[in-house]
Amino acid sequence: MKLWAIMRRDLLKLMRNPLTLLSTILMPIVYLVIIGNSFQGTLKNLPLAVVAEDRGIYAIRMMEKLQALQAGPKTIRLTYLEDPGEAMRGVRDGVYKAALVIPPDFSKNVAQGRLAELGLFTDNVDQISTDAIEGVLQGAAATLRMKFVTAREPKLKQIVLRPSDLFTTVDYDRSLIPGVIVMSLFMGSLMSGVFNWVMDRFMGVTEGYLVTPLSRWEIACGILASGVTITSVAAILVLFSGLLITRSTIQGGLPALAMLVAIIVMGATGILAMTFALLGRASHPRLVGTFAGFLNVILFFPSGAIYPVESFPPWLRSFSRFNPETHAVSALKSILFKGADFAAVRNDLEFLAVFTALMLMLASISFKRTL
Amino acid sequence: MQPDSAAIRTQDLVKRFGNFTAVDGVNLEVRRGELFGLLGPNGAGKTTLVRMLTTLLPPTSGSALVAGHDVARHPKRVRRVIGVIPQAMTSDLDLTGWENVDIYGQFYGVARRERRERALRLLKMVGLSERGKDLVASYSGGMRRRLEIARGLIHAPEVLFLDEPTIGLDPQSRRAVWDLLEQLRRESDITISLTTHYMDEAETLCDRIAIVDRGRIIALGTPSELKSGVKGSDRIELEVKGDVERIIATLRAAPGVHDVKREGLNGRLMLRADDGAHLIPRLIGDVEAIAGHVTSINLQRVSLEDVFIAFTGRSLRDEPARKVSLLVGAGMPQQR
Repeated sequence: MKLWAIMRRDLLKLMRNPLTLLSTILMPIVYLVIIGNSFQGTLKNLPLAVVAEDRGIYAIRMMEKLQALQAGPKTIRLTYLEDPGEAMRGVRDGVYKAALVIPPDFSKNVAQGRLAELGLFTDNVDQISTDAIEGVLQGAAATLRMKFVTAREPKLKQIVLRPSDLFTTVDYDRSLIPGVIVMSLFMGSLMSGVFNWVMDRFMGVTEGYLVTPLSRWEIACGILASGVTITSVAAILVLFSGLLITRSTIQGGLPALAMLVAIIVMGATGILAMTFALLGRASHPRLVGTFAGFLNVILFFPSGAIYPVESFPPWLRSFSRFNPETHAVSALKSILFKGADFAAVRNDLEFLAVFTALMLMLASISFKRTL
Repeated sequence: MQPDSAAIRTQDLVKRFGNFTAVDGVNLEVRRGELFGLLGPNGAGKTTLVRMLTTLLPPTSGSALVAGHDVARHPKRVRRVIGVIPQAMTSDLDLTGWENVDIYGQFYGVARRERRERALRLLKMVGLSERGKDLVASYSGGMRRRLEIARGLIHAPEVLFLDEPTIGLDPQSRRAVWDLLEQLRRESDITISLTTHYMDEAETLCDRIAIVDRGRIIALGTPSELKSGVKGSDRIELEVKGDVERIIATLRAAPGVHDVKREGLNGRLMLRADDGAHLIPRLIGDVEAIAGHVTSINLQRVSLEDVFIAFTGRSLRDEPARKVSLLVGAGMPQQR
């Protein structure tokens, strides 16, 4: 009887809060779709630059193999270049995941049974993509030889893929640092910004604020400034903790650190403004908690922080392109691990700047100086 | 421009929420330096009225001036000259008492040195000098309320609004808040608007009281004026000897006596009368004039609660139904 009374009370409360009920049903399904697709496993459309300096038969066969990989399993997306320097720059700037160079004497070496090398320059910061590209290219090179095995042909191992990492080794733990920073940006922005504000309003504390001569702008800018400061400091501490734990350093020294701080501050501002624009008028902290959990999942997992964006299905990849966390992760990775300069992260920074400006505008419209 | 002689002046002030009229044409004048009480049942419109006066809600129609500034046209000017202690505890638990007061001083642009001097003085006044550096989370409800009064005074406001300041406090804390308000009145010319449910609080503290019901002011005056406005509310219990029936007839005929009832078979009489304290000597005289004798007298004076019930009636006031969000359910803060 008493047990039923307790159950009845809880059940009634749950039924009267449909959002909670809905979130317990719908959110896991949404999470399943988002997270499931973010860790799909099969990498696709990995951008590969190909520089064929050899026009011989084996080079052509190799190119056919690559085209078959592009058309069939779609693991790679080919871009043909003439200049190996341009291909490597593209890898450095994050345009390609790797560059395959077929040297001028490749066909000759294969035909003569000598050691034939294929040069592969990889963006080893994304080890998962690098491994995938290496895997399919090894396979292609192997089958290339298999087809032409004759008594006179040299042994299989004489065609080798010679991978070269363009950057210092980034193990899995290190590769997670940008993601952890972005996660701290989200959590910090949320807790120091909109959650505080909605909780204060719910508790009636805001009433004390609103009877003072503080203007709407003063309140909004004050909350923004404190939230961005707290979040940025937290994210910078997370950055250094990450570096300490993984025993790594920032490639690029002080200028790189300055750029990292700039990205962190811009990211904190953008995310804080976004959460205010979306949840600033929420009348109950429960709403903020529920939607923030949802936002965190749908922004974080498709950001490329854990698994490469290239593995996502097209709809998730499109979403990922407009996800601020994708650009923050990408910029942080480039600067942290590649020692990239401003030009290399320009696109990401431009996106973040436009996103931040847009969110600030929306937040300023939604922020009201009322109870 | 001559400064307005009234600290608060409203004219036909109205606030509607959809079809519901919370404040229905209030005309009010609170004098400078006065401690003015707003009494009323739940949902009478007191809080809405105060929220309009403190610029938290815009009036639907009518006008309101606070310290000479129009709340609708110059809300910022009003905010500069008012101090508000809302009903909800609004001090920050994660800050110390000192920080709470100091930060509010900054909100009002009070200079650093002045802020420090005032904070010291105010914390001393509210008896929190020793606990100023402690987190508010460690304060009792009464301490928090006293701190909020100090915070509300940091910018030396002309008008102080207190909304149910002693609600939920123990008797000691209530008395401490009362002492504080009385001290404030003695030592400054501040105008205080006090919203309360407690009749004893209103009677003890207020110079004048407005009884608000259904969004209107239904009675206004000093506590004694309000009491004298309720006819026959003093109860006099007399024990008499002699010809009781004749004494009853004499008392019924006396001016100021509204009703005489005999209780039991002895000479115990219950009278309802106006201004009982002044009436008693004359009643004794009347009884003795007809060879009667008064052996015992007990006077129960009309209380403000009697006045309140007389004006507002005994019926319970249910709050009009509020919309509860279908999405997030109950637990939403009250918006009016």
